[in-house]
Amino acid sequence: MKHLTPNMKASLTVCFLLGAATFGAASPYEIRDILTANSPVASRSKEWKPGAGISMEASGMDWTADGRLGVAVRKGEVWLLDGVLSGAADKVTYKLFASGLHEPLGLLRDGDSLLVTQRTEMTRLRDTNGDGEADEYLTAGNGWNVSGAYHGYVYGPKRDGRGNLWVTLNLDMGDHSDNKAAWRGWGGIVTPAGEFKPMAAGMRSPCGLGSNLAGDMFCVDQQGTWIATTPIYHLREGAFFLNPEGIASQNLPGSPVKLSGKVPEKVPYPEAVRALPEMCPPAVWLPYNKLGRSGTDLVVCDAQGKFGPFDGQMFVAEFTDSKVSRVFMEKVDGEYQGAAFPFLSGFASGIVRLLFGPDGSLLVGMSNRGWSSLGTKSYGLQRVVWNGSTPFAIREMRAHADGFELVFTQPVDRATAGDAGSYSMKSYTHLYSGAYGSEEIQTEPNPVTRATVSPDGLRVRLKVDNLRALYVHELRAEGVKSLQEGKLDYPDAYYTLNRIPKD
Amino acid sequence: MNIPNVSDVVDGVRLRLRASSVLTLASLLIGLPGLVLHAEPLVPGFERFHAAEPSVPGGRLLYNELGCVNCHGGDDGLPKRRGPELAGITQRIQGDWLRAFLSDPAAVRAGTVMPHLLSGQKPGEVESVLQYLATLKSKPEPKTTRDVNVERGRELFHTVGCVACHTPDKTFQPPEGAPKASDFSYPSVPFPRLGEKYVLTSLAEFLRDPLRLRPDGRMPRIEMEETDRFDLAGYLLELSSSDPKAAPKLNPFVGDVSLVASGKQTVASARCASCHGLPEEVAVQPVPLRQMDGGCLAEAPTPGVPRYGLSGAQRSALKHFLNSREIPVAEAQTARLSLEALNCLACHERDGSGGPDAGRRAYFQGDHNLGDTGRYAPPLTGIGRKLQPEWFAKVLSGEARVRPYLHTKMPVYGGATDAMPTLFGRVDAKAEPTLPGGDDTAGRKLLGTQGGVNCITCHRWGAHASLGIQALDLSNIGQRLQPGWFREYLINPAGYRPGTLMPSFWPGGHAANQEILGGDTDRQIASIYSFAKSANGEPEGFPSAASGEFELLPKTHPVVLRTFMEKVGTHAILVGFPQGSHLAYDGKAGRPSLAWQGKFFDAYTTWFSRFAPFEKPLGQHVVVWPQAAPEPGVRFEGYRLDEKRVPVFLLNVGGVRVSDRFEAVEGGLVRSVVWDPARLKNFSITHPDGVAVTEHPDSTPGARRFNYSWK
Repeated sequence: MKHLTPNMKASLTVCFLLGAATFGAASPYEIRDILTANSPVASRSKEWKPGAGISMEASGMDWTADGRLGVAVRKGEVWLLDGVLSGAADKVTYKLFASGLHEPLGLLRDGDSLLVTQRTEMTRLRDTNGDGEADEYLTAGNGWNVSGAYHGYVYGPKRDGRGNLWVTLNLDMGDHSDNKAAWRGWGGIVTPAGEFKPMAAGMRSPCGLGSNLAGDMFCVDQQGTWIATTPIYHLREGAFFLNPEGIASQNLPGSPVKLSGKVPEKVPYPEAVRALPEMCPPAVWLPYNKLGRSGTDLVVCDAQGKFGPFDGQMFVAEFTDSKVSRVFMEKVDGEYQGAAFPFLSGFASGIVRLLFGPDGSLLVGMSNRGWSSLGTKSYGLQRVVWNGSTPFAIREMRAHADGFELVFTQPVDRATAGDAGSYSMKSYTHLYSGAYGSEEIQTEPNPVTRATVSPDGLRVRLKVDNLRALYVHELRAEGVKSLQEGKLDYPDAYYTLNRIPKD
Repeated sequence: MNIPNVSDVVDGVRLRLRASSVLTLASLLIGLPGLVLHAEPLVPGFERFHAAEPSVPGGRLLYNELGCVNCHGGDDGLPKRRGPELAGITQRIQGDWLRAFLSDPAAVRAGTVMPHLLSGQKPGEVESVLQYLATLKSKPEPKTTRDVNVERGRELFHTVGCVACHTPDKTFQPPEGAPKASDFSYPSVPFPRLGEKYVLTSLAEFLRDPLRLRPDGRMPRIEMEETDRFDLAGYLLELSSSDPKAAPKLNPFVGDVSLVASGKQTVASARCASCHGLPEEVAVQPVPLRQMDGGCLAEAPTPGVPRYGLSGAQRSALKHFLNSREIPVAEAQTARLSLEALNCLACHERDGSGGPDAGRRAYFQGDHNLGDTGRYAPPLTGIGRKLQPEWFAKVLSGEARVRPYLHTKMPVYGGATDAMPTLFGRVDAKAEPTLPGGDDTAGRKLLGTQGGVNCITCHRWGAHASLGIQALDLSNIGQRLQPGWFREYLINPAGYRPGTLMPSFWPGGHAANQEILGGDTDRQIASIYSFAKSANGEPEGFPSAASGEFELLPKTHPVVLRTFMEKVGTHAILVGFPQGSHLAYDGKAGRPSLAWQGKFFDAYTTWFSRFAPFEKPLGQHVVVWPQAAPEPGVRFEGYRLDEKRVPVFLLNVGGVRVSDRFEAVEGGLVRSVVWDPARLKNFSITHPDGVAVTEHPDSTPGARRFNYSWK
């Protein structure tokens, strides 16, 4: 249950806010406060002044060389926090490292420096005189247009496996908008010489980036015009994703994207992909409302077992419902695709950033300035800790020519898991159009005709009819029980079946 | 002459023919097989909801909308459908157009519900009717006129809501692109050749208040400025010049008193007064309905019987209605058909039906920040239990508008909507749970951001802009909404409006905020309602722009802040000094842009405004550096804070480092520009107007130092 009285603010157990039936369910994950708007000085307090308190509107996080947590905040500061992993929120110390930045939305350690993205540039912050505060604010990358629109955000940088620094650029919206100018809605890398090298187009609010364990770079965008629901893109050179509002930059020197035809409109999404060869489908779609609304960040779990059985998987943060989803990906015909699952909810504010700690706990940075969130605090920093007990969950969902294979975190009860009636599946897609979001369309049932449990009880092979390439396949494994008669933490899984494997 | 291809005509997209005569147009259309340019009268609500199969409601709608009821009586529940006022008609409409229209209404104005009455058995009949009408004078039309901006008129036509009913121009590109012909699920009301009917002043005057001449509300009033009306009229008349003097004039109507008497007789015998407001001398008595077939319903009505050109579907629906109607009718049907009669459902959905179809959706624009709720009108589902009846009446009369972000404007329908608040109140009523008493203090806290559920993050409150997206004003919910509906909405906003950005803070009835009122859902909602109704104060958490609470005060060391600033640009780096002189540096061009004295800067807008206006310095005596084109070889490389925490700006000039440092002293600024003179011979340094510039005596090439003192 969610209790956030002053006496209990340090501990907040994960609850499933949106499902009354699951209230009170024990969870192996616990959310702990480090700092939220309950702290003495709130960002919207009339008493607040720059430097007179910490408005922890966390918008970028990374660990410093000496093990402190660097946190960029939206009002333009970078703070260094010591002791966040100690478990005692009142022992955490805060040191202002940098200030005066223009809405930094990303932070990354690079040697002895911290890199931040501002609206206008990537900036290298360094303390050269050892007083604990940055005295160098050097321009480390630029080259995109800044028109002055409120939404002209810059996200990143994040490093891929080859050492490239990736940033993504929000589309302009509202006053001063100019999406015909350079590279709005694009992502690219910042070269060592500080130049922006465009790589991929077709994004809207590509708010969070991260690379997987193989070193490939991914990015989460948000639903809106042309984007039916939160997508996760595999960023690479020459890709065009969904939103064409910034496509005019394809005519600029250096563009790796050149659309071979007109962007289709008002057609079911699979038709759009077939009509435009450059259109790269998102590796995974997160269905609207079912997994929140506006995806904001992603992080790959590399906790060496210290965060439960999900190493290598991706966690995706979400703003409006203040929740975190879990994503499994596999490669089919050389392209990433996979499944998304509900995971954590009940955070204090709209989640903006995720970061794993060296101890395997998950840091969650939040701010809901500008939009509404189910978590009603103005901002905050929380930490998710695993208690060591294994949740009963569908860990992986893999596509096959004739269905799917589920991999569970615990052995299943053979009777229920082997009964095709324990599962139901349907598939759907969206309308690809300039309208804001889209309903699920062309929904059809996918009869599950057989369920075969592996000898070790950890895998179930489902034979499924009516698989459709490029549709989201939504599974409900309501009837499956674990060997200990336990129910799944969430019976839902959403597989983005861009390609049907040949097996 | 342009010959329209079939798709031009049937796709619901505007037909812009320049046919040389009415007859040519009519014969052209008849000559195209399978082509239907609304030869039948067009009642959008019927075509959209009832044309597929005959039904009593469909027939009832037609019985009202075609004016059957005006002659035959028998239904008084729906908003009266009337013809336009005829007094003064020859003073505002071209005589030739009137002649053609009276000779065959549907041939001139496809889809008109005016039946063909003067079927030509008496020569000179049309002219004599006109001569009689010309004797019915009204107040002269105003002579005011204005310049015309046709392009603006075109934009208005396609955005303020005209195309909810009327045919859009297919060459107009809404932001998402023009819809496909197949996206239009029912026909629009066309008005071809408007230029032969109206002149600029008479059309602009008509648009000022259509209800004056057409009181039945089928053409409602959209409140517009005079300039909007002229631009719109100029666009509709396809004027080629912005000069109103160049616009065609009304041809004087030549009277002929010898025809007036016979015209009067024809007006009486054709029963014009059943639908039109006319003098007592031509008044008519109702015609009792004795037969349910033949007459006006005959496929080929006999001469002297009104000829509507009904389609098969319309004829079947009317017959079905006349033979099977229930008396008395259910009020729910009256409510529904009232919405269809006034075409409310072109914009609004009710109970899952209606709302703009795929073709028309593209023309609804608004605030993209609010998603679909920022561009489409709200549903009318349960409207009678949603709005307080007094507020409902104010919405209909145009007094109350709460969604300024919708570009499509809610029009005013006059007396046609008078019955709606009570009618819908009865139809939509259901047993509502009573809310417990509210606690105003708790309500205020819940609305705010200091431990509440942050309503004001997205919602306006009276004159206060919200902190984020500008969703509708909550300060009037106590006057506007009924409490039972409010409770139901807050628990599940998407249940009323799928796709709303509004989350539930009481999902499944469980309060997300457990701290206020013990997490009691009903008491929390009642408290928000009662606080709003009390109009006693505002929620906590609005930062005040005017109070200077976000003024940055350099006290002990310089304060640096990046923002967007006028005369500096998007890469402005502001430096405020405790000594009271301040600087804005252009981090793109690599040069200083502004300096000023007094107060430094208020960061309120930088941090809180979504409109991101370019900022201004807070102080005075602003001086500006010359705004020449940026030096091509100069690259900005950031800044270093020195031991006094003064930023030293770093420039790369052709591979040579130049540093540019400003520091405030009493009464001004000291500027030091340093580079290696061995590698860079000359570096051009400019100074602002409005300060006295003196170069320091120690200044050398490669280490130049200037004093700027305000005069």
